[in-house]
Amino acid sequence: MSLFNTLIPPFNRAPAQRDGSVAVLKPRYEVSEADAAYALTVYLPGVAKDGLELTADAGTLTITGRRGWQQPEGWTALYREASAAPFELVLEHDNTLDAEKISAELTDGVLRASLPKAEAVKPRKIAVN
Amino acid sequence: MRIIRYTQPASRRFAPALSFPRSPWTGFESEIDRLFETALTGLAGAPYDRPFPVDLYEDKDNTYVRAELPGVNRDDINVELVAGNLTVTAARKQKNGDKEESYTFSRSVGVSEAVQADKVAATYENGVLTVTLPKREEAKPKKVTVAVK
Repeated sequence: MSLFNTLIPPFNRAPAQRDGSVAVLKPRYEVSEADAAYALTVYLPGVAKDGLELTADAGTLTITGRRGWQQPEGWTALYREASAAPFELVLEHDNTLDAEKISAELTDGVLRASLPKAEAVKPRKIAVN
Repeated sequence: MRIIRYTQPASRRFAPALSFPRSPWTGFESEIDRLFETALTGLAGAPYDRPFPVDLYEDKDNTYVRAELPGVNRDDINVELVAGNLTVTAARKQKNGDKEESYTFSRSVGVSEAVQADKVAATYENGVLTVTLPKREEAKPKKVTVAVK
């Protein structure tokens, strides 16, 4: 096997590393559009308010959620499907959102946010002479 | 929708394979890397066709089942234990303007038969349902000393 690896040079290097050393999970989310605002629903099971961070940057909205639950001492895992990785969702909005007026609530592991559109993007009526 | 960026192949010269500036495998490799990256990180699939993830744990007194069920009312969760199978059924209701949509998911896991069925308890916190199934006395690990004649 090592002879094979030396013969084909690209197989020498380590397998591809993803950027950053911590794996993150992209949560399931839905976005729907109303006239004045977008409604965002993000499913973040196991995340409480203290583990949630919402950051609005230039043109992007980042949602990070850390699960608060640690496996107690003495518990042996028999079968695991859920991941313990933190959630991260990055949404690009290109300045169509008014970041000052974002309101959000987190209940039962679901984040529901209302993202009001920026003034310039709202539909407006144009009077015809 | 996902936008896929293609890397432009290095300019090819009409020369034998040995003198390519990059190895002929490089473009292929980066495509495979990208394929694995999206398969492993981009798991935002349709929320209603996939069953919810379930974890099984145990300690010496109990078996625990944790199910990730965000956004469900406590009244809409049903937990049933029948002959060693624990079934969790949940309905998620959504109000979109005037209409109300309801989606049901259900999942069964096998747990051992030696469970004290009347002492099973469940809690729902932050979107995660935890069911605690106390083991029967005879199923708990016990130390037995065996005399060897």
